[in-house]
Amino acid sequence: MSDSLRRVSSTKANSERSGRVPLRVARPIALRALGLEKSYRKRNVEVPVLKGVDLEIAAGEFTAIVGQSGSGKSTLLHLLGTLDAPDRGEIWYEQQRIDELPSRQRDQLRNREFGLIFQFYHLLPELTVLENVLVSQMIQHGAWSYYRNRKANTARATELLERVGLTHRLKHRPSQLSGGEMQRTAIARALMSQPKVLLADEPTGNLDRENGTRVLNCLLELCREEQLTVVMVTHDEQIAKAADAVVRLVDGLID
Amino acid sequence: MYKLLLSWRYLRTRFIAIASIVSVTLGVATLIVVNSVMSGFISEMKNRLHGILSDIEMAAPGLGEIEWPDAHLDQIHDTLGEDVLATTKVVRVPALLNFQFNGRQFTQQIMLWGIDEESFGKVSDFLPFLTNRNKQTGLNFQLEESGYDSKLGECGWPYRREKAEILRQIEELTRQREQTRAATDPFSPKNIAAGSNASGANPTAATNNAQGPSAGALNVNPNAIGFPDLPSEVPDVEAVTQKLAETKPAPESGTGPAAVSQHDPHAHLRPQIRAEDLFNPARDQYTGIILGLAISNRKFVDEETGKTSDVFLLRPGDDVQIALPTGGARPMPIAENCTVIDFYSSNMHEYDSSFAFMPLKKLQQLRGMIDPLSGEGNVSAIQIRLKPEANLVAAKQKLEQRFPSALSPFMIQTWQDIQRPILSAVDLEVTILNILLFLIIAVAGFGILATFYMIVVEKTKDIGILKALGAPSTGVMSIFLGYGVALGAVGAGAGILLGLAFVWKINEIADLIQWVTGREVFDPTVYFFSEIPTIVDPFTIAWVAAGSIAIAVLASVLPALRAARMHPVEALRYE
Repeated sequence: MSDSLRRVSSTKANSERSGRVPLRVARPIALRALGLEKSYRKRNVEVPVLKGVDLEIAAGEFTAIVGQSGSGKSTLLHLLGTLDAPDRGEIWYEQQRIDELPSRQRDQLRNREFGLIFQFYHLLPELTVLENVLVSQMIQHGAWSYYRNRKANTARATELLERVGLTHRLKHRPSQLSGGEMQRTAIARALMSQPKVLLADEPTGNLDRENGTRVLNCLLELCREEQLTVVMVTHDEQIAKAADAVVRLVDGLID
Repeated sequence: MYKLLLSWRYLRTRFIAIASIVSVTLGVATLIVVNSVMSGFISEMKNRLHGILSDIEMAAPGLGEIEWPDAHLDQIHDTLGEDVLATTKVVRVPALLNFQFNGRQFTQQIMLWGIDEESFGKVSDFLPFLTNRNKQTGLNFQLEESGYDSKLGECGWPYRREKAEILRQIEELTRQREQTRAATDPFSPKNIAAGSNASGANPTAATNNAQGPSAGALNVNPNAIGFPDLPSEVPDVEAVTQKLAETKPAPESGTGPAAVSQHDPHAHLRPQIRAEDLFNPARDQYTGIILGLAISNRKFVDEETGKTSDVFLLRPGDDVQIALPTGGARPMPIAENCTVIDFYSSNMHEYDSSFAFMPLKKLQQLRGMIDPLSGEGNVSAIQIRLKPEANLVAAKQKLEQRFPSALSPFMIQTWQDIQRPILSAVDLEVTILNILLFLIIAVAGFGILATFYMIVVEKTKDIGILKALGAPSTGVMSIFLGYGVALGAVGAGAGILLGLAFVWKINEIADLIQWVTGREVFDPTVYFFSEIPTIVDPFTIAWVAAGSIAIAVLASVLPALRAARMHPVEALRYE
């Protein structure tokens, strides 16, 4: 890729590597954005959100995207997660352009490669905690093949829930859980399909400090132990400090 | 998998879904009940319409006659061959029926059939509709001692004998009253001629007086009207002749009118008539006639209690008079006495209120339809019963070819042709009713549409989540389509059960409605059945169920499409 790309990494890493170290030495690039532009239309008035964002996210790193409200950080995350398509620009995932893929393949990408975590947890209220975790597997497989693998899947889901400390909540409905528990359920759900990239949109935004820390630690641990690429959107500078790399978005542009 | 799970969960956790199910259930149940009752009615009606009409009828138009019916029958057998099960000849003529009830004259027009005892029952379903069970196995026109339907009350020979006895007693009383009146009438020429020596002159007067049970009551005290010594009785001819017969027995063993020969110089020239040769209503009957039940039966509804009661103007054993035109070129009215021997109750009011049946031969004789040379009688129509597997229309066409209308002006009709107006009216009625009832389900369908739209709006965020987790649009769509199928299937299933239960217990339900409202659901004065006939057609049920599921799915297509097109980010942002 061209030199116009701007390698993003933490301030610490920057100072160490500046000048000497080639841009793409440390780790392979998992996600790459090229000149992303996105605007929303409000009553015939175009509201630009992203104004040409170039970005590279290294595999196995914990990247934080920080910025003020309205700076376009959530939109950027949605574009990276193929939930939305950019007006202009390209998104590459492991040597493959993904923003122009047919919707079916993007669906599969989200289902198998990406794990998504949201600020408002977004669990399905009709399903139990265990079922919520299993949903991605249900989506991935047809009724018959899901039924055949149900034991392995259930075992893995139980294990994941145990890891986030929710063993005692398997049969509960989301409405019976606290915010932290819901978010941990969401993390378990995101991990269920063994993704390579975890995209988290303000996962701690709605939690108190204790629960927030717990969730954050959980994500950090995953990143460190399983070599998971984690991209986290946050407006909390404290949390951003824990990240390997920080991307600052100011008014639709990387600062 | 998630589609099934979520469809099921949405169905289970939504009250509004239950409301939609109920609307489908009610629609389906209504359709099933109405269809079952309607097909019950129609089948009953067709049976009755068909009942007396045989399969194919070859009739002379109007009051015309078919001459040489046996030759025609041979031709029919030749033409149709193996298809013919039975044939019969009938004479049909409009007639007037006259009878007395409670001293009042009733006259009404009827359609009088002359039917052949042997073959008529084989051609049409006539015998099962007779009220006497002896007649149901073999038809004859003799009054029966017993075997009549108990609801008719007293009838048959016991009734006829009793009635004859009562009439005889009334006649006796009337005669005695007449005699008393005549004897006490001072202006009677007999009394004037008898003068004063009449008193005590007649030895039989006293005995006669004692015999009459009501004579005492009728006896007028002669003194009261100022005519002394008038006899209370005068000798009557019968008593005198009887006395004479007793004292001087005639050479013949006969009594009664034969005794007149004493005074008749030409007695030896007259035919000897014995009492047992005379018509005795207690022992003899006129020509038997079978009447439609509704001719005799009147149903009355008590305004206060709502109960219906039967009144029979005629019973088997009563005598009636019929007046009818003779056959041939110059019809003349003739009258004939007949004895009602049974009733015909097909529960088709049109038939029961106008048909009367008497023996074919007798009717042909009465109307002068018998050819004096060959002895063969003309008929009005030939009825043909085909084997069940035979093709009705094809047989009719063959007959039309054999008897072209240019040569033989007969009307060849199947029973369906004859009842075409009513059958097509009923068919139309059923079609319209089904359309209307399906509109009910369509209304339920719009209810489902509205419900689903609401659920889709409510589930916007969940749809966003599913899409974010990689569920394809088609998958999201099939959640709601599956929801529609499930809703339609559950609703239709419950509707079928409810409908079948309703049909199964329909008579009890009708009774319940009657008990609650105080009104009879099916007024038996209008509908001649005691139980509501129903026929459950599995094909109709399958059709209704499939239709209602289809409507439920169609109604869920639009909301499902909306859900499928939803943008995940916007859906997630939706609050």
